[in-house]
Amino acid sequence: MAPVPMPSALSFELLGKCSVTKARAATLQLPHGPVPLPIFMPVATQASLKGLTPEQLEDAGCRLCLNNTYHLGLKPGQATLDAIGGAHKFQSWPHNILTDSGGFQMVSLLKLAQVTEEGVRFLSPHDGSPMLLTPEHSISLQNSIGSDIIMQLDDVITTTSPDLARMTEAMERSVRWLDRCIQAHKYPERQNLFCIIQGGLDLDLRRKCTAEMVARDTPGIAIGGLSGGEAKDAYCKVVDTCTGLLPEKKPRYVMGIGYPEDLVVSVALGADMFDCVWPTRTARFGNAITARGVLNLRNAVYSEDFGPIEEGCRCVCCRSQEDGGLGITRAYIYHVTAKETTGAHLLTMHNVQYQLNLMRLVREAIIEDRYPAFLKEFFGKLYDDKSKYPEWAVDALRGVGVDLLSD
Amino acid sequence: MSVNEQQPQLSDLPPEMLDFNILKATIPLAPRLGRLSLPGRKSILTPAFLGNTSRGAVPHISQDNFRKCTTLNGVYVALEDFIEKMPHKQPPVFQVEGEEPLRQFIALPKETLLVLGARRAPPVPSPAANTNSEVGLYTSVGFRSISSEYFAAAVRNLQPDIVVGLADIPFGQESIGTKRKDKMADRTETWMRDIIAKRKTLEKEERNFNIFAPILPIERDLQSWYLEHLVDDMAAKIHGVAIYDSFLLDGLPEELHHLPRLSFDTPATPQALLRQVNLGVDVFTVPFVTDATDAGIALDFTFPAPAKQDAESNVRQSLGVDMWRTEHALSVTSLTEGCTCYACTKHHRAYVQHLLSAKEMLGWVLIQLHNHAILDAFFAGIRNSIENGSFDNDFAAFEAYYEPALPEKTGQGPRVRGYQFKSEEGQGKVPKKNPKAYKPLMGETDRLKLQAIHGQQPNKKPEVADQIDDEALMGLVDLENMRPEEQLEALEVEDDKS
Ligand SMILES: [Zn+2]
Ligand SMILES: [Zn+2]
Repeated sequence: MAPVPMPSALSFELLGKCSVTKARAATLQLPHGPVPLPIFMPVATQASLKGLTPEQLEDAGCRLCLNNTYHLGLKPGQATLDAIGGAHKFQSWPHNILTDSGGFQMVSLLKLAQVTEEGVRFLSPHDGSPMLLTPEHSISLQNSIGSDIIMQLDDVITTTSPDLARMTEAMERSVRWLDRCIQAHKYPERQNLFCIIQGGLDLDLRRKCTAEMVARDTPGIAIGGLSGGEAKDAYCKVVDTCTGLLPEKKPRYVMGIGYPEDLVVSVALGADMFDCVWPTRTARFGNAITARGVLNLRNAVYSEDFGPIEEGCRCVCCRSQEDGGLGITRAYIYHVTAKETTGAHLLTMHNVQYQLNLMRLVREAIIEDRYPAFLKEFFGKLYDDKSKYPEWAVDALRGVGVDLLSD
Repeated sequence: MSVNEQQPQLSDLPPEMLDFNILKATIPLAPRLGRLSLPGRKSILTPAFLGNTSRGAVPHISQDNFRKCTTLNGVYVALEDFIEKMPHKQPPVFQVEGEEPLRQFIALPKETLLVLGARRAPPVPSPAANTNSEVGLYTSVGFRSISSEYFAAAVRNLQPDIVVGLADIPFGQESIGTKRKDKMADRTETWMRDIIAKRKTLEKEERNFNIFAPILPIERDLQSWYLEHLVDDMAAKIHGVAIYDSFLLDGLPEELHHLPRLSFDTPATPQALLRQVNLGVDVFTVPFVTDATDAGIALDFTFPAPAKQDAESNVRQSLGVDMWRTEHALSVTSLTEGCTCYACTKHHRAYVQHLLSAKEMLGWVLIQLHNHAILDAFFAGIRNSIENGSFDNDFAAFEAYYEPALPEKTGQGPRVRGYQFKSEEGQGKVPKKNPKAYKPLMGETDRLKLQAIHGQQPNKKPEVADQIDDEALMGLVDLENMRPEEQLEALEVEDDKS
């Protein structure tokens, strides 16, 4: 039962495809301006990104960030969002916003949540009162938020669940809930509804779900239910399988992915959009993301390291004062982390910049059709020895024609 | 405006020499206007305030926002924020190479005046009592003592623009005996001589620093020897005075009147600040700004005060707006009408109220930017008023217009920061920071489960840890009954695993 094609509030311009892997580069035109694909989207959970002003986030190059519907629904609440005129106005963010459905939180809420055909019942973490989240309610909330990309409510269970019957039920229910979301969506001409492919790690279920979802012709497509602790090779198989069945001219979003090596591999497998709280959350604890891996700057070895957080980084912290930056050193981050909120702010700016810049380099490499070489260089920097390359990444990339271990 | 004739012109001064022009002064113990100038730094018109830093940054204001969103032309930095590694290791800040190591280390703009003192403003009482040769400090990891020699060497190394000389003041002690007061004066004098001697040893190419001499918070009689020696032996070598009790300004020898006066007599309110201006204080650190910010209070006062709407009314206006209050939840107005700060021009009350209640760090960032803008405008108003000769009237009108104290704090502060722990430890007990966030609506088991879901149980799998609700990590939910050190530990646990 495929309903009438829905209007779309985006355009997808494919700029280049890797001639070896499945990687693509594109420009996605959204209601609040164009964004480059592939893209990493920082997560401003409660309409704020870890202490950064919207201007600081903009300065780091961000043009599309996430808000969480679940959180905004609780605080400030739908009435406030309606009164103020949506999340853009609420947080003074002139660029694009993507919201999840609130369903993602269910993975963690599951023990206390009860999923029925109607929706998800759970206890409010704020006062313990019972709450119900239906597909209609989720869309209504996202309509109030006014995000440029909204997500369907899906029935998420952990991918590692051994219960195939439950997994099948969740997948099928997610399809039914998509139909209800499409029905409930009030502003398809200015908000893009993305479907979410479910099916756990069972590739047949994923194929079935992909066919059903694609038939509904949403402006974009997400692959969901991952990032729940499954093995990385199983994750890669799911992404690879799904992207293989997806139309070329639509953006593909893999939810909850953010480690640099996951990003570059997922792009090779044909995915375009990613989000994760990790890069910004981890900044608060002194973890700096660099091309050579994550450095915990709270380690005493950095207390006397007067170099930038990452040599060559163009973020405002790492650039020298002569270069218009701040000239912040690792030693200074060590000095303030976990003691002053400023430490978190500085490192958050660096980490956001790192992630966005990584995707910019990825995109350039795809457009210039040298992505396989980029991948080799990336892993070469990240690990000092090929023997340390993660097996799942080597296997996944071999599957799309890149042998990381060859010279 | 009368320019003090004794003051050399700026162009005649050797580099790094502080110049203080008194632009308007009538009698001693009266408000005065001045200009504090140092080659290469932005001039500061006084009365003025310095940004009060913690570990090198004004709390909540990252160095880029300091440049973009504040008008601060000077900061106060405490040495005790940088030397917790001593005596076992050389503190890292001393290993910075090149010009002006401290300025470099804290990424302070080149044009901002840098004032260094031993203790934070206000200082937390140190359990290490001062001795003849050492001063007790309180670093982020506990108390330390440093010698006057160490302090002088540190100053030489760090190259601040201005250093506040070491003072022997037993902070936190209610009453001080006469014998102890004698000692205070003797030690402070010795330590002043030490820093002056150190300054003499500077090589020609070394960057010079300017010395502010402490005026002790004790009766003039009891520090008369010290003050005499300041005048007779040291007057030419000091460039300002640091005031610890502004009511003792009348005891300040006349020979020191031309010097800028930096106050460490912590004002609790704008009125207290005006009182000090009225006594002739020039430069302030104003800890109540950050205190108000941490309490979620957006300062809301101007000087002179607005004309009273209703002359009959005895209702006084509040000095600040409690941004925690839910009545702001739908308000799209600025924090203070007409304020041109970043927070007020870009955001509105509803968002700030949300950020506080969601315990998002940005809430405190925005309020802090606003509060600094309010204080900046307040000082500009004070200078205007002195210039116009209307300060006395304006001061009286301000007192009549506003409530005498800042509003009581109602909401939760940000997670207590390092230096805030110890002020409570110093008193020997840890009061409850915040009321419990959870009412016992649920059974204990459910409650624990919910907490676990919200990340309050250390999670070993980083993949799963990614889903942890940030509120629990940064916020105060159910952490408030722990000792602060435990809070910090609890927070550390989470991320050391990923
Ligand atoms: Zn950087
Ligand atoms: Zn303002």
